[in-house]
Amino acid sequence: MKLLLVTSVDAWTRSVATIHHYAATARANGHDLAVYGEPKPELPGLPFTTELSGVDMALFVMQVPGDLPDMPYLARLIDTVSRKKRAVVDLWGRYNDTIRLEHDFNHLEKLDGHLGWEWEEAFRAISGTLLQPTLSPLRADVGSFLFHGYDAGSVVRSWDNAAAAASAWRASGTDERPYGVMYVGSNWQRWSQVRAFLEGYAVRREKVGQACLTGWDWGERPNWAIDKGLAGIDTDPGFLEDIGVAIGQGVRFDEIVPLLSKARFAPVFHRPLFRHLGFVTNRSFETFHADSLPVLMLPRDFVEAVYGPAALALVPDGDIGAHLSDTLDRPERAWDALLQTRAHLARQHSYARRFQELAAIADGQA
Amino acid sequence: MNILFVMKHRGNAGNTHAVADYMRVGERYGHRIAMYGEKLPWLPELDFSTDIDAFDKVVYLFESELYRVNKLQEVALLGRFARADRLIFDMDGMYNPLIHLDNYDRNHSHQWERDQWIEFYDTLADKVMKPTIAAPTAPNVVPLVFYGYDPSLEMASKDAPEKVYDILHVGHNWWRWKEIGGEVLPALEPVRERIGEIGFIGLWWDKPPVEGPEAGPWQAFASDPAVVDRMRIKITDAVMYNEVVRTMSSARINIFTQRPVLHHLRHLTLKYFEIFYADTIPLLMLDADHAAAVYGPAARELVLPGRVQAKVLDALERPEHYRGVVEDVRRHLAAHHSYERRIEELVAAMRH
Repeated sequence: MKLLLVTSVDAWTRSVATIHHYAATARANGHDLAVYGEPKPELPGLPFTTELSGVDMALFVMQVPGDLPDMPYLARLIDTVSRKKRAVVDLWGRYNDTIRLEHDFNHLEKLDGHLGWEWEEAFRAISGTLLQPTLSPLRADVGSFLFHGYDAGSVVRSWDNAAAAASAWRASGTDERPYGVMYVGSNWQRWSQVRAFLEGYAVRREKVGQACLTGWDWGERPNWAIDKGLAGIDTDPGFLEDIGVAIGQGVRFDEIVPLLSKARFAPVFHRPLFRHLGFVTNRSFETFHADSLPVLMLPRDFVEAVYGPAALALVPDGDIGAHLSDTLDRPERAWDALLQTRAHLARQHSYARRFQELAAIADGQA
Repeated sequence: MNILFVMKHRGNAGNTHAVADYMRVGERYGHRIAMYGEKLPWLPELDFSTDIDAFDKVVYLFESELYRVNKLQEVALLGRFARADRLIFDMDGMYNPLIHLDNYDRNHSHQWERDQWIEFYDTLADKVMKPTIAAPTAPNVVPLVFYGYDPSLEMASKDAPEKVYDILHVGHNWWRWKEIGGEVLPALEPVRERIGEIGFIGLWWDKPPVEGPEAGPWQAFASDPAVVDRMRIKITDAVMYNEVVRTMSSARINIFTQRPVLHHLRHLTLKYFEIFYADTIPLLMLDADHAAAVYGPAARELVLPGRVQAKVLDALERPEHYRGVVEDVRRHLAAHHSYERRIEELVAAMRH
């Protein structure tokens, strides 16, 4: 399969890690994959091309308007790769009615200058195959394609059994694992969830160890959000200081899993819009590559459907502090859940499987 | 045929006015002409649309910048209109070799900039239309004057405003000063006392754009405020496109100038035509052969180069004679440059 990914890639943001997994999987399985555009020296692991002949599928990976190529590349692409060989995976739920949840949204003109109809018209013009990373798209004309995936080969430290894993985890010292909790992700529509988590964590923080938030804008509410009057990019520096939370800046995509592995626990949060839409993200799966115990701050039905039933043990039952404390006391149960979940993800959500799904989508278009 | 124009729309610019004329005339022949975009309250008579499915063809009209819609709109347009259904109008001569005229006007500042434009055009569409009477310069170039003449827009003397100017120049100071400051004003200054009010209506005659260098090369906006002041030239801001003819009609004489690079390329602009709607005597800073080719032989009587002072004074002294010349030109324009003809040419170009 000759797959062309049409998107912007940036070492610091969005889906660049997933794109790297696609490139590696393509190499390993004899597929021909490239990102459309000129080479980017800062991303040597990605093949780029502007050659359009023989493309089986051009998958537009859409998050922001900048994911579309500039002219004249855009016209060349649209004029060369026929509509039936194009597909859109709408990673941010743009192809929906306008949704407002808490402070979150899928369309906001004052942020990016675009109204909902522009997204819809653009996506329909690109392709009749519209996909979203959810098991249950809201619209009948949207297909399910999770896009992101799990790569067993990227797991930092593999274990045959939970007891050994738990033993090593318990024994790890502060040099190896300086944090009790590590969250990597930028401050974007997650503060209410992060705060609730940290309030629960704070009760047991001496036992759990220091928490760290790594990403943009956790230290203070950014000026651009103030200027635009955007809520949802909130923080509380005093609260974070009181409970000793370390603040880190954004990191490159290839530093995330090693960073998560420096903590005993790695919570997974999905912004309100994605929770509502049942969307997965790169971090939904990538967290399971780390040598850390995921804490799934996600709806239980979503967890069971995506991660499998064993993963329910990784979902706190209301009391975050108790969940962390109990896991520290008896980590074998959580590690057993983690290993079972990794096996489930390897079966159900591997990148090889994503290629099979894409091939089936391409066959359906033919 | 329903045709959607993707262009920068400005109420005080000629191309907006021309498309407004296409809208008006096209309707009579069952064609719908609209501009891409949301309705603008200050241009209520213009048909704007974002309903791209309602159109058969798209025309990208470029001036001196690559006007771009946003990326989402761009992909929607590209996906909706196949390459064969797209057409480019190159209004400012950008689809040409690099042209620098006497170290003054130019179509591009640099070769690399020119190459970007060519690549952009070639990627977007098969055909490039030019509003010129010159022969095509490449197989994919199609001359199509674009602008037209509608006799119903002629302003009758009885309806014209009072003549408050003897001489008026309506248009922005965009690559004009070499001609105005180099030939027109030096010829008139010695006889300034014999001429009544002189007015320049448009931007940048007394100062360059507030945007600074981002607005374009400084030579394009060059002027000499001391001369303007000394000759008591009244500078007034630009008027909206639907006020141009009435404004021109407030002067006995209107002086027509054209940007040098466009004159060199034999491009016609809307001003070629609308100046003859006005109740005035147009005097033309054009070479005589070119004027005759556009306006018919009578127009040789109206050209200024080399005889500015004599021609202006003569026109002020013998207005009836010149009104006769203007009528001859108007008849020629109505016969050869009607919008009906233009619509036919445009639709024919779209069909081939």
